[in-house]
Amino acid sequence: MALTESEVVGLINVLPIECVASVLSFTSPPDACRSSSVSTSFRSAAESDAVWESFLPPQYKSIISRSADSSSSLCFSSKKELYLHLCDHPLLIDDGRKSFWLEKMSGKICYMLSPKDLLIAWMENPHFWRWTSLPDARLPEVAELIQVWWLEIRGKINTCMLSRATLYTAYLVFNLSSKSRGFVNLPIEAAVRWHKRMVFLDVKQEGVRVFNPRAGMGSFQELRWREGDGECPKKRGDGWLEIELGDFFNGGDDDDDEVEISVLEVKAGMLKSGLIVQGIEIRPKRV
Amino acid sequence: MSSTLCCSFAKNVTLRSSDGQTFEVEEAAAQVSQTIKRMIEDGCTGSVIPVPNLTGPVLALVIEYFKKHSPPSDGCPTALLEMEIKDWDAKFVAVDNDTLLDLTLAAHYLEIQGLLDLTCHRVADILNDNSVEKIREIFHIKNDFTPEEEAEERSKIQWAFE
Repeated sequence: MALTESEVVGLINVLPIECVASVLSFTSPPDACRSSSVSTSFRSAAESDAVWESFLPPQYKSIISRSADSSSSLCFSSKKELYLHLCDHPLLIDDGRKSFWLEKMSGKICYMLSPKDLLIAWMENPHFWRWTSLPDARLPEVAELIQVWWLEIRGKINTCMLSRATLYTAYLVFNLSSKSRGFVNLPIEAAVRWHKRMVFLDVKQEGVRVFNPRAGMGSFQELRWREGDGECPKKRGDGWLEIELGDFFNGGDDDDDEVEISVLEVKAGMLKSGLIVQGIEIRPKRV
Repeated sequence: MSSTLCCSFAKNVTLRSSDGQTFEVEEAAAQVSQTIKRMIEDGCTGSVIPVPNLTGPVLALVIEYFKKHSPPSDGCPTALLEMEIKDWDAKFVAVDNDTLLDLTLAAHYLEIQGLLDLTCHRVADILNDNSVEKIREIFHIKNDFTPEEEAEERSKIQWAFE
C-alpha cells in the first residue's frame, strides 16, 4: 500500500511491523503495553504473537503440559491473552502439587509448592498434622498442624523450572488459627540453600512467659522479641500471612541444580499448634 | 599458498547507494548481510551491486559494521576479540535517533541479524525510558487515535502505567 506524504511523518512509520515487533521484544510487558497507545501501527506490533512469545518463559509449553487442564482451558487467540491469563490465573501442575503463574511486570516464573510437594516431619501421623481444605487457599489441600514439638518443613525446586538470571525469594505462606500455641516470639530457623536466617511466625512486643521443659518442672522462660531479631510475617492480599525465608540467585548455567528450602524449630522444646501451611512460594525478589 | 586461498582473500565487491555513491568492500565482509550474500551466490558480483534502499551516508556506516564483523581470517574469534566487538557495537549505535532508525531499516533490508538486534535493543531502551507523548515526539509519530480510542486503549492497559 502506497503511503501519502503526510503519512510518512516519521521514519518509524515506515519500519515494517516485524521490525517494530523486534524492538518491542526487547522491552518489557508493561512497556510493550504502554507503547500500544502510541499509534495504531504500534498497537498492531504490540499485540503481535512475536512480541508476547518473547515475554513468555522459554519452558512455558512444557510447564503447561504438566497441568491437568492444559488442552481445553488454555486455548487463546493470542499469545498476549495467554500471557495475561497465566499472570492472573495460577495453574495447578503436577497433580495439584504445585501452582504456577507468571509475574505480570517481568514474565518471570513463580510457584507455590503445596504441602503435598513438601516434606513435613510427622505429616503422616494424624495426631500431629492433618490435611484440610480451605475456601481461600489456592491449593486443593493445605496442612494443619495439630501439635508437634519437632517442626520441620522442607521443599526443593529444580532451577531448570525457574527463570534464568533471576534473584528469587522463597516465602512460607501460612496462617495461625485462633487456637494456635507456641509460636509467639519463637525463633525459627529458615534456610534457603546454605543461607540460614532467624524468622518469627508470630510476634508480640511484650515478652511472653512460656514453660521450658528442658529446664525441668516448674521453670519458665521469658521470650521477648525485639526489632531486628529476625524477619516478621507480612499480611498478603489474599488474607494469608507470609514470611520471607531467604533469597537465591538462579543464574541458569547449571541445568540440574536443586535449591533446598527449609523451616526448622527443634531446639526450644516447645509444643506448637495451630499452624496452617498453604505452601512455599517462590517468586522474583522485588527490588 | 594455493591460488584459491589467494583469490578468496583479495576479492572485493562494489556496492552502490540510492544516491549513486559507490563503495568497495571485501566480499567476505559484505556477506555479513544475508541479502548481499544471496546476490553474490546468484552471480551478481561481476558488476556493481545496487543497494537502492540506503543512502550513501547510511551505507558507509553499514560498511563500517561489515568490516568489524567480517569473519576473522585466522579462524575462531577469541573472547577478548568478542569483548572488543561488543564495546565497538555499543559505541556504533550511540547515534542520533534518525540515524538509529536508518540503521534499523538498513539491517532489516540487508538482513543483518546482529545489527538488527543491536539497533532494536537500542530503540527499545529509548522506548523504556520515555512517556508515550515523548516517544511520539522523538520518532515523529502522528497519534492516529481519536481521543476516545486513546482513552479506551489506556484504560485497557492501566496496569502498565502503575
